[in-house]
Order: sequence, then structure tokens, then C-alpha cells
Amino acid sequence: MQDLLELAVGATASGCIYGLIALAYLLMIRPTGIINFAVGEWAMIGAFGGYVLLTKYEWPYPAGMAVVVAFLCVVGWLTERIAVRPLIERGAPLLAPILALLGMLVVFRETISVSFPPDPMPVPFAFEIQDQKYFIIAVTLAVFAGAWFFFERTLWGKSFEAVALNRRAAALMGINLTRVTAFSFAAGAGVAGLGGLLVAPNVSAQYLMGVPLAIQGFTALVIGGVGRVEGALLGGFLLAFAEQLTIRYAPIPGGYAQGVPLLFLIVFLLVRPSGLLKAKA
Amino acid sequence: MRWLAAFVALSGAAFLMGDYHNDVYRKMLLWITLALSYNFLFGICGQVAFSHFAFYGIGAYSVVILLFQLHVPLPVAIVLGVAVCILVALAVAIPATRLEGFYLALATLALAQLFVVVLNEGGAVTGGTGGIANYRLPAVFGLQVKGAWYTGVIVALLLGTYALLRRLDHSWFGRACRAVRDNPEAAAAMGVDVARTKVVAFALTSALAGMAGMVYAFVDNTVNPPIFGLENAFLLLFMVIVGGAGRHAGAVIGAALLFLLPFFLSPLVGHHHVLVFGVLVVAAILLKPKGLIGFYDAIRRS
Amino acid sequence: MPSVVLEVRNLSKRFGGLTAVSGLDFDVREGEILGVIGPNGAGKSTTFNIIAGAYPASGGDVRFAGESILGLPPHKIAARGVMRTFQHNRPFAGMSVADNVLVGAHTRFGFNVFGKKSLLDEKANRARAEELMEFVGLGELRQADVATLSFGQGRLLEIARGLAGEPRLMLFDEPAAGLTPAELTRVSGVIRGIAERGIAVLLIEHDMHFLLPLAHRVVVLNFGAKIADGLPEEVRSNPAVTDAYLGSHAAAR
Repeated sequence: MQDLLELAVGATASGCIYGLIALAYLLMIRPTGIINFAVGEWAMIGAFGGYVLLTKYEWPYPAGMAVVVAFLCVVGWLTERIAVRPLIERGAPLLAPILALLGMLVVFRETISVSFPPDPMPVPFAFEIQDQKYFIIAVTLAVFAGAWFFFERTLWGKSFEAVALNRRAAALMGINLTRVTAFSFAAGAGVAGLGGLLVAPNVSAQYLMGVPLAIQGFTALVIGGVGRVEGALLGGFLLAFAEQLTIRYAPIPGGYAQGVPLLFLIVFLLVRPSGLLKAKA
Repeated sequence: MRWLAAFVALSGAAFLMGDYHNDVYRKMLLWITLALSYNFLFGICGQVAFSHFAFYGIGAYSVVILLFQLHVPLPVAIVLGVAVCILVALAVAIPATRLEGFYLALATLALAQLFVVVLNEGGAVTGGTGGIANYRLPAVFGLQVKGAWYTGVIVALLLGTYALLRRLDHSWFGRACRAVRDNPEAAAAMGVDVARTKVVAFALTSALAGMAGMVYAFVDNTVNPPIFGLENAFLLLFMVIVGGAGRHAGAVIGAALLFLLPFFLSPLVGHHHVLVFGVLVVAAILLKPKGLIGFYDAIRRS
Repeated sequence: MPSVVLEVRNLSKRFGGLTAVSGLDFDVREGEILGVIGPNGAGKSTTFNIIAGAYPASGGDVRFAGESILGLPPHKIAARGVMRTFQHNRPFAGMSVADNVLVGAHTRFGFNVFGKKSLLDEKANRARAEELMEFVGLGELRQADVATLSFGQGRLLEIARGLAGEPRLMLFDEPAAGLTPAELTRVSGVIRGIAERGIAVLLIEHDMHFLLPLAHRVVVLNFGAKIADGLPEEVRSNPAVTDAYLGSHAAAR
């Protein structure tokens, strides 16, 4: 019983990280339709930010966390400005910014790779709490509560929804599309960076951690559906539980556990691409 | 005929180079071959997929396993290897092409990763994480085809791939592929069976990648998982974008350039030439979406 | 009496609780231009899209050359000899004008890619494409990039592309939309020329000034049902028709 409980807590914490990455995707997909695969690299930058500020310069955790997230928001805004806005303004097909962002993925990863030694860099636990899991869950719930509140209750959030439903109509209603897009990228980067920072104490900051996270996060999104913020978290939990249960109980070698998110992604894309939760009418 | 001249020239060049340059030359030819087939799928048919290198790997591992684990004679191994490439390509193509836009890219990305996981966990069959090595191409009619002579095989593959794709491109099929790329709804209204066109394009180009893999298996006489992973799949996409998607010449230029660039860049940036590629891709999409081939076109026009 | 090429019988379409089309019957004959008009929301687009294979119907039948085409996917309908244009031009942006037209001829190519026959097909179809481009007035723009075409030229391209399929029935989706007066005259002439070649023409349109002089016969829809069917002059003076249009104008005010 104790065993199962531990597994459940562990899976919940992993699920939270996947959910955060999925939320990052969602924040950008909804208003623009752009699938930004570089979110994994943003998470990786968050992890390295944690290493620099918290391990190397030994800043207090709250300050370090705040600065890392703020820094990522700026990175997100810059990414939009450089790789996305010029293409949207030119009327390029949706594929163009998606491919440009793949180029940015590589740029981010290699920049970090050049700047730091190749070994995993340690990141300290938050507030000296040894068992990060509860902290991760608490922070994630706070973020999701905030996101839900933003979309449901604030004017800014509703204008997001409007853009998501119909860009042209939203523009005609006076909503500033550029600002919404810039904000969505900044927010997406901030959330992804936070996810990277939260997972880093357990896995250490390593420049290759981006793509696996990007895959897991996107799988969580596809499972939960793009329509609702809660879907991202639900998808994260389902994926994490499936992974953990497979590792623990399935009679196949451990290495295949990496295959779980991949299989889920393929199956869901083929069978139920809109996800489990339906968007609000 | 021009084809014969090209074959002789490209294969003959191998004899004029030392061993090291020969190795680089042969690998470059293989990348060009892959870029040509990938360009047909991505640039001409408009399908973004990351599975090309997985098929390369399926071809390579299949022929090695057939020859050295199942001890099948060479001609049979070649025929079976090609059959495996075609069958797997079809099996993936049929469900995969039902996915729209970037969802196809993601599904094939997951597939590519899954392939690497299977290779790593394959134990005795695939050689696990270390792969299979230290084998060599069995003698053909008593002759050992290796070294500079093997270049002839690679050149034949390259020219054959190019000839096939060019023929398809200039036919109603090539036009149908471009129509599906540009506007699937209008294509259907004009009588194009969009689903079937996508399946054929995907299966054909993936099978070609598989056959290239079969040839690759005897270049280094080693096959191991990292070669067939996502890194190279991204690189292939970058090559085609930078060179000029939709044009065979673009694929050739992009592949040759991005393959050779690291050799010239290494004194400057060491292992991090990938950073340069990332920048090049972003620059290409922002500044010259038609690719480097656009410069050539401009020169020709003036 | 020219033969009937298209028969629409008791066609109906419901979207959830909303009836878009009900009990629709009409024919189109060889060489005839049938105009389908009606106020906004009358069901013209829905009817058009059902015939073209873009939507399924809720009931009734559509028969082309005696065989039912209801429920067939668009590419099969095109293969049978029914080609269409799009209201919001849909060119293939990555190809030249000539290649766009050649895609229209897709169903006229034999299925091989290799060998002599395929080369002959290519030559023959290319010659036909040139002839068609001359016919619609795009002759000089053969190798032009599609992006350089004006909206009106794009419309002509739609028409040439459709004709390349050697149809027995051409479907025009609001061909007058977005055109200048000079372009309207040109398109009108082209459509007349198409009918003179013996091709049946079905066009939906809400610009009456364009349609009434052009059509041989007119069907008027309102709220998804046919309210008039006859010669343009008859329809013009039909009180039910003027009511329908005035009624919708009044409602809009």
C-alpha cells in the first residue's frame, strides 16, 4: 500500500511537470495555432538558470525562481519577435514559424551547450525541502489556478479566447493581435522555464533534456485536449501514471519505459487527436 | 548517354582521393541521396515528417540482420531487404498520412524515437546500444567490392534515386503532389485522390530512404542507434530548407553545403556547428524562404 | 431536345435543427446555363456543395449522366466529368499558371508515369491547356507565377482549370464575386462560350444583373425551397421572387 502511495505521489509530481509544459504549448497554440516545439529548450534554460543563480551564486530560492521565470519571459518575447512576428506579418503559411522555431530549438540548445560543461549541473532543492514532489505539486496547482482564472475571469484572458476562436473577427473588434501573440509566447516561456526549474533538482540541468520534455509535454497536451486549461494537467497526470505503472509492473525491460509517451502520442494522434476533454461550447 | 558519363565521373572521382576524403565524399553522396527523396516528400508533396532516418535505419539493420544473423545469401538479402523497406513504408504511410500538417511531423517524430528505443533494447537481434559492427559485404562473384569501388554502388543509388524522382516530378503524379501541397481541397475538386497521393509519396520516399540505408550499412561496416535518431532527421530537414525546398538542385546544394560546412567551421566553433545550422535555418525562413537555389535563379534570370 | 445531364431530385439537407434545403428538384441539360439564385441564406451554397461532393445530403438524390453521384468524394465526381470553380479563388500557389491548368486535366491522364504513352499524354494535355488559356484570355500569362495574377485573372484561371478536366457539367460558385465590370463582361462571355461547346452549366449567383442576361433558365430558392423555375424574364416578373428579395431586404433593415 505504501508502495502504491509513493508511486502515486511520484506520478503526480511528474504529471505536474508534463502539465506545465503542456500548458506552455497551449498558451501559444490557442491564439496562434503555432506548435512551438522549442518549449523543451525553454524548460532546459530554466533548469540552467536555476543552476547559475541558485547553485553557483547561491541566491535565496524565491529570488532565484522569480528571476529565472522573468528571464524566460523575456526569452519568449524575443523568440516571438525574431522568429514568429515577421512571418505572421508577411502572411506566411503556419508551417513557416513552426519550422523557424525548430531552428530556434537548435540555437537554444547549442548556445547552452557552448556555455556550460557537458556534465549534468546540480540544482538545489527549493527551500531545502528534501522531498521536492509536494512543492512541485503545490506550485503547479497554483499556476494552473492562475491560468484558469486568467482565461475565465479576466478581460485579457477573454480576448485570448476571442483570438483563439477567430483571429480576423478579434482583430476587427479591436484586439491587438501582436500584443496577444507576444504575451502568449512570453507566458509560455515563463511556464516552461518554471517546469524546467522544478524538475531540475531531481534530474540535474543537462543540455539534452529539452527534446524528451517537449515530447512528453506535447503528448500530455494531445491526451488532455487543447480546448481547456485543465486538460493539460489531466493529460500530464494520465501520461505520468501510465509511465510509472508500466515501469513498475509491466514485464518488459526498463528501457522501454521511454517508449510509453511515444506510443501514447502516436495512438492519440491517430485515434483521438482532439483529446479527452471537450472544449467549451 | 549523360547518365553513364555522370556515373563514371562521380565514381571515378573516388579513385583520385585519399582514403579520408573518400570517406567524406561517400557520406556526402548518401546525404544527397537522402535529401533528394526527403525533398520530394517535404518540398514537393508538402508533408513534414521526421521518419526518414528511421527508414534509413530499417534498411540498414534489415540487410545486416538478414546477412549476418539469419545467414541469408546476398541476392536474397537484397531482395528481402527492399521488400521490408517497401512493406514497412506502406504500413506506416497508410495511417500516418491521415494526419494533417504538423501532427504528421509529431507522429513520425515519435515513431523515429520509438525506433531508436527498440534498437537500444533489441538485445542480441539489434546489438543493443552498441549496434552491430565488424562485418563486411560478402563477395559478389568472388569479388570483394570495397573502398573506392563501393563508391560506384553509392553513385548508382544516387543516380537511380534522382532519375526516378525527376521522372515522377515531371509527370502528372508530381503535379498532383504539388497540388496536394498547395491546396488539398482544390486538388480533390480537380480529381486528385489526395489520400492515395499522400500514401504513395510517403511510402515511395520512405522506401527509397530504406534502400539508401541498405547501401549505407557497408560504408562504415557499422550500424548503431544514434545514427538513425532525431538529430540527423532535423539536420535533413534543415538541409532541404536551406538549399531550397521543392527543387532537386536545392536538395543537392543544401545537403552538400550543410554536410561539408562542419569541416570548414570546426577550427572556429568546434563541435557546435549545429548552432550555425540553426541560425542558417531561421535566416533562410525569414530572409530567403525559397532557399539558396533562389540566388542561382536570380543569377540565371539576369 | 438536348439530353439531361444533371438531375436533382427531392434534395434535402438539415444541419442539426436547421433545414437548409428541402424537397429541391431541378434538371440541367447539355449546353444549357442554369442559374440558381436566391437571397442570402436561401440554400444556394449548400445545394452547390452537395452536388460538388463537399457535404453529404440528408435526403434525395443527385444524378449525373443517369448515375447517382450523391455521397461520392469530390475527386470521384471530378473523374466522372463534373468540374467546379471556387468563389474564393483557390489556385495552387507553388506552380505556374500553365501547371495549374494541367492539374485540372488530372483525370484525363492515363495512369502510367513511365513510357511513351505518358509522354504523349503530357504533350496532348499541355496543348489543350494552352488552348484553354487562350480561350479564357490568359494566353500571355502561361509561365507566370500565380501570385502575380489579379483577382479577376485568378477567376479566369479557375475556369480554365475546371475546363481542363473535359467536363460535361461545369459548376460555378458565385463567379461574379469580386470582379470589376470589365471582368464581368469577360467572364460572362467565357461562360456563354462554354455552353456553346455543349457543356452543361450550373451557376449559383446572387448578382442578378450578371446572371439574368446570361442564364437560359433560372431556379429561385428561398429558405431552402424552390419558389420559381423558368425563363429569366418570367422569374424577373414573378411576384413570389420579388417578395422573397424585398422581404429579405426589409428584414435586413
